[in-house]
Amino acid sequence: MSQNSSKIPLLKSILCLLIVYLLGHVSPFLPASHNPILSNLSFQSLAFAEEDDEDEDEDEDEDEEGDEEGDEEGDGEEEEDLSYLTDIGPAAEHEFEEFSFMGLSNRKFTWVAAQLHILFASFILGCPMFVVIMEVMGARRTQGVRKAIILSNVFLGVLIGVVIGITGEIIIGIHHGVLYGLWACAFGALFVSFLNYFHRLMGLRGSAFVGALTGTILAIPLTPVEHYETSGIILAIVNGAVGGLLSNGIMFANADYKFERLSHEITKVIGICYSFTALSGGLFLLVMLVAYKDFITYLISSFPMLFMVGYPTLFILETIVMYIYVYSWDPLNKANKKGRHIVTGVILNVLGLSLLVALDGPATFMQTPPKPLDEIVNISEWAKIANAGWMPLNYHRLVGNGTFGGYMVCIIGAYMYLWSDKSEEREYYDWVGYIGNIIGVAIMIPLPAMGYIFVREIYQYDATIGMYIMSDRESMFMLVQGLLVGTMFSASNIYMWVSMKRIENAERFFPAMKFGFVLIVIAATIWFTPRRFFATMLPEPGMNPDMVLPDNLAFLALMVSKNTAAFCLVTVTFINYIFYTIATKTGKVAYGKINPIGPYVLIFLGFSDIWLMSWMGTIRELSRMNWHIYKVFKDVTPEKFAPSLAESGFHVTTIVWTFFILMTAIIWIGIKYPKTKKKETEPSAAAPQMAE
Amino acid sequence: MNIDIVIIGCIAVLSGLYALFNIFGLVGLSCGIAVMLTYAILLRLKPKKSQEKTTFQNIRFKIPVIFILGAIIWVVAGKFNFPVWWQIEFVAFTLVGFAFFTLLDWKTLNVEKKASTWIMRLLATYALASGIFITVTAQLPQFDPEFELAKLNRPPVKLSGLAGPEVIAAGREIFENNKCFNCHKVFWEGNSDRGPNLGTKQIGLYSEDYIKEQILDPRKKQAPGFNDPKSVKAMPTYYADDIEGDEMVALIAYLKTMRDPTHMPVEGKFPNQWTWWDDPEIIKQGQTVFEGTEPATEGLNCAVCHGKDGIPMMTGALDFRNENHKDTDKMPDHIDDLLKDWPDALWYRRVTRGVTGSPMAPWGTIFPHLYLWKAEAYARTFHDPLDKRTAKRPVPPVPTKEEVEKWKTDELFLDPLL
Repeated sequence: MSQNSSKIPLLKSILCLLIVYLLGHVSPFLPASHNPILSNLSFQSLAFAEEDDEDEDEDEDEDEEGDEEGDEEGDGEEEEDLSYLTDIGPAAEHEFEEFSFMGLSNRKFTWVAAQLHILFASFILGCPMFVVIMEVMGARRTQGVRKAIILSNVFLGVLIGVVIGITGEIIIGIHHGVLYGLWACAFGALFVSFLNYFHRLMGLRGSAFVGALTGTILAIPLTPVEHYETSGIILAIVNGAVGGLLSNGIMFANADYKFERLSHEITKVIGICYSFTALSGGLFLLVMLVAYKDFITYLISSFPMLFMVGYPTLFILETIVMYIYVYSWDPLNKANKKGRHIVTGVILNVLGLSLLVALDGPATFMQTPPKPLDEIVNISEWAKIANAGWMPLNYHRLVGNGTFGGYMVCIIGAYMYLWSDKSEEREYYDWVGYIGNIIGVAIMIPLPAMGYIFVREIYQYDATIGMYIMSDRESMFMLVQGLLVGTMFSASNIYMWVSMKRIENAERFFPAMKFGFVLIVIAATIWFTPRRFFATMLPEPGMNPDMVLPDNLAFLALMVSKNTAAFCLVTVTFINYIFYTIATKTGKVAYGKINPIGPYVLIFLGFSDIWLMSWMGTIRELSRMNWHIYKVFKDVTPEKFAPSLAESGFHVTTIVWTFFILMTAIIWIGIKYPKTKKKETEPSAAAPQMAE
Repeated sequence: MNIDIVIIGCIAVLSGLYALFNIFGLVGLSCGIAVMLTYAILLRLKPKKSQEKTTFQNIRFKIPVIFILGAIIWVVAGKFNFPVWWQIEFVAFTLVGFAFFTLLDWKTLNVEKKASTWIMRLLATYALASGIFITVTAQLPQFDPEFELAKLNRPPVKLSGLAGPEVIAAGREIFENNKCFNCHKVFWEGNSDRGPNLGTKQIGLYSEDYIKEQILDPRKKQAPGFNDPKSVKAMPTYYADDIEGDEMVALIAYLKTMRDPTHMPVEGKFPNQWTWWDDPEIIKQGQTVFEGTEPATEGLNCAVCHGKDGIPMMTGALDFRNENHKDTDKMPDHIDDLLKDWPDALWYRRVTRGVTGSPMAPWGTIFPHLYLWKAEAYARTFHDPLDKRTAKRPVPPVPTKEEVEKWKTDELFLDPLL
């Protein structure tokens, strides 16, 4: 005991020293002015470093003086040509070179590689979120699992708090709504989980109350505002209550093995997708090095610490944790250490999100580089990462990836349903589709708000970009986006309708649901209605200038109408979802007996979601106009213009097809093929038993 | 638990209704209540056992209903003056609704017995989704990328060696490239009324310094009628970085052409607009011009002839108090209308071009027209006092492209460049 106790402080001390050392060395990555504590930690070494610098400066001064003396002495002689020191030979004359292969050009090659990489990356970021929640739902509530649930609840609290907080910040205009939401929900979840860990201390109402109280008490001092507003405090109360409720619900949910199986199967697919993410990432980099080598060199060298240290470290750590997560599943289950596995899953998600957030830095730097632009070369790397569009894109991608994860599970469920022969297997995969759709729809509901926040930030940064998106060459692209969102909400509701047909006594909701469908069609029509039916801000040659809505009807094309339409779509979907939930709770669900159109609706839904995601990526990239980095690095290549809507639509469809072909193969290899092999080996394994 | 749901539901419903009321007023609130009542009634209906329908049963009522509905929508949209493309869009969405509801009532598909069946269905699903997206993107209005490319390849504006019309054309290009049309209309051109219509506002009447200041520091002086919080922040503040030197000169040259010789300037945000005839602030400034105390029009004093209180000081001078006064017959463009019915264009002509053979000089050749319009707004108050008006003068229709062209061909402007 004594040995152990003496070892632990020693370990702790070593750990502390390591942390101090790391902080001291990571600190240059952070802005020094904002980091006084960290700079003080390594004060001594910095002081020496400063002295060294001074010495070096002095040496340099001496050298310069020496040079000057030399120059003076050498006056009258020809100046020495030192260009050989920097001349790299004929490559210096290299200019942009156009490549073309099977109709694909520099830009289209890059487009394919980037898009495929982002789709796979979204899969390995979105699905682990889904998987950990499912794993928790499926785990038997042992002491270890309950400990792990405290951590997973806090993680979930942070995610949900951010989403509710940012929505409150935008819709109601609550200053620092994100921080109120984040702290209140996370601390609400932490306290309720912690108290309930020892014993079931409280029910749902009690959890909501305790969550709201503790969350609010801690969120208020942690949120730096000058004057507290009632709306902010209400937001904190709501978030704390949500955190408390969720924690209680999750902590005492009945473990269902179906969730465990679902999460385990999806994890197998994640493992393969991880390799594809790395492959497509490599492909993207190689393509960039050929197609836009000057630009990619500039971009990478603008973020030296990120690309030399941050990104590789996170990537390697994530890879290690991901493989531990995948391959420790069965061993930890057998050793009855499920809690540790859940904790690994949470760490995997934290690393994945960190990676996402880190790479959003360069992505948004291209769109909203910090102003004034004349100072761009002098600002710190952190200032480049934390640009105006960074956090909004982080929120948007966080929620977007969650939706993506839900719909990918739908697709996996639908495929496996179609590939299954046994009725129990079909029942199970029918249920998987149901769960995927619920998660996808639930996360999709705040998605329009996140997109709105991102575009609003772009407008504030430079309205010209916003106008290019909303009113100029991308206006018809946005119209297609409206159509896609309408299609997705419609498909999701159709799936609920089809699902409810196999639930006993669900007919009582059908007339009301049909009324909801009428509202959906009306809302989709309003969302689709443009101000003008030509594709640019002003009519260009060959366009009909009369295709403009009269002023008194123009409100139909403005944000107020679009927001109302979005609100209507979301509300109807939410109401249908409530009907669906009540029906499943009050009537018997005939899993496996879904109308065979159901899985195809899910696949259609997933295809639409991924197409929309690719489309929005296209819109974001094109919105920089003829700039690689807006107003910093100009695109002077022949493909600096915006491609037409038809060309973009076809190209995006090709990319999504490629992704789906690969995903079909991955799902087969990851889930279906092992089952087939198992089936083949089963009779031989069973034979001796039969002989007994 | 039930009471919790009831409370949460009530809060949600009331919040939704409040939001609708805030955005759309009573109409929004009524629509929200109507939707809720419809839901409540439909949920109380006795459930019918759903029965499988054949394809014919599925569509036999839907087709006539959709035709009638489509026809009604077409006619109603036409009555509301929706252009034909929007009528087509609305009817197309009626057909989408038809497809939607037909799918909802579609009979249950047969379970796949063979792999070929699900493969076919799977491919059909992908084909349907791809077909929709490719068709929609191909059929919506397109632009020609070459046009943008040509624009991008154009050299930056350099004014050296350029004459007036070319500078104005360059300024228009800058106006377009900076997407000013997104918020500002110029007479009939442009997209939204987020900012003032620079044509009907006649921004060209203002001095170059004032226009420049408005571009570089738009928050300094807000356009009348655009004082709501959204409008105050609408105009970006970064144009000082984006438009410099020759580009700014060219842009201002283009903005200076925005004048209307046939109407008083219009202020305010659509649809709550007014003309300078009814603008108390403008009338007050007009009084200083009329009475000769405005520094910018030093030397101009209308009151010398027309009288400070409207009683003419000189024989033959127009008596602004008499609303039935007729136009002078000394001018070839004489009209028979009484003073109260004079068109804006006549006021403008008489003041800017003067009256031949009278002390009424062509003041437009000497003083900025901005102030002359203001003086006219004040002069009208002698026979139509501001405090006794029961209604504002109607805002004139926005001039069309043809009308704007005609001003130039008819030489209504004094400036040869306009």
